[in-house]
Amino acid sequence: MKSGVLLFAVNNSQIDYVKQAIYCAKKIKEHLNLPVALATESSSYVKDSFPFYKKYIDSIIELKKNLSTYQTRKFFDGAYTEKILLWKNHTRPDCYDISPFDETLVIDVDFIVCNNDLLNCFELNEDFLIYKDPIDIFKEREFQPFNRVSDKSINLRWATAFYFKKSKMTEAYFNLIKHIKENWSFYKLIYQIPGSLYRNDFAFSIAIHILNGFQSNDWPKVLPGNMYVSTDKDILYEIKDNKLFFVIEASPPGNFLGVTMSNSNVHVMNKFSLNRMIDIEFKNE
Amino acid sequence: MDERLEKALDFSNFMVTLNNQRKLIYEKFLENSVYYERGGKFVVNKELINFCNTLLQKNQTSAIFVDDNNTPIEIDDLEEFLDKILNVYFTNVNEYLIKFNELKEKRTSEGLLNI
Repeated sequence: MKSGVLLFAVNNSQIDYVKQAIYCAKKIKEHLNLPVALATESSSYVKDSFPFYKKYIDSIIELKKNLSTYQTRKFFDGAYTEKILLWKNHTRPDCYDISPFDETLVIDVDFIVCNNDLLNCFELNEDFLIYKDPIDIFKEREFQPFNRVSDKSINLRWATAFYFKKSKMTEAYFNLIKHIKENWSFYKLIYQIPGSLYRNDFAFSIAIHILNGFQSNDWPKVLPGNMYVSTDKDILYEIKDNKLFFVIEASPPGNFLGVTMSNSNVHVMNKFSLNRMIDIEFKNE
Repeated sequence: MDERLEKALDFSNFMVTLNNQRKLIYEKFLENSVYYERGGKFVVNKELINFCNTLLQKNQTSAIFVDDNNTPIEIDDLEEFLDKILNVYFTNVNEYLIKFNELKEKRTSEGLLNI
């Protein structure tokens, strides 16, 4: 049975997700040694801008542009810089249809793989695995949005990384997510989600809640290993082998501290600082 | 700023950084304590090790365990399973001790980040 990793990368005017995807694939090859497929809107951009991409990306899947699904949201680059940019996250529910693998690990391109824990998902007898309860890299702060869809709503599952095996069950699950996406204004009202943004984490969590008979249950199980999270207000300062150095703003405001993560899988939400670090890493490619 | 307050705030930053790094290495210890076998997920702790040992003392060679996902898993070779989980336990606990002692010896925030 064929196993592999599927990445999605759709650029906006300032964030090069394709670059992040190639770096993410590099880390995947280093630690998981699995084939990597990249789904993107422009394969020519990948080939022209990153001629070395074949070292890390095994196949490219061309996505159709769908301008009507683009959203705008605020992106932070540390605590004091923010930008409003396009956010093109609409293709994730298509992963079941487009994945070339029988068993697929889908990973956000800003998720830095630094160990081989995720390989264990192929050993567990489960159709679907997804993260919950991520760990903040700054344990002293209580960042509430990590745990629930909203204050009075359901538990949050993180679509940052998930595993699925093609089956009738997972097909129904991803079809349900498409339905939720198409009827987002209804579901965000029912599940008391503030704002209007469609977020994959929310849609995945709602679909899990529905498939569990509108109750909390222990399906699906949790992906192997920990997922550590740094917010977009943290700054990724350096990457040295499998060590990530962050600068974070602690209390009181204006007081900055360092955090080191070693051999841990970290979701880096500050895309700008991640891109800066990747530029340094790619100098020798 | 009063020099005494400045020094206290510096020390406070050191303490927050130390506590955070300690919590992170403990999380890593817990993460590395998980062992996967035959599609099962087992947290390797003293309870699991003792239970395996008890079964072996009772001359059991195989057993069914309910793993951490509440799935029953049949372990054919109990002795081999115990060897494997002991290896996971000691490797992990040694690594934790080394990291913990490294942190203990550091006297500056910069030092804490370089382990």
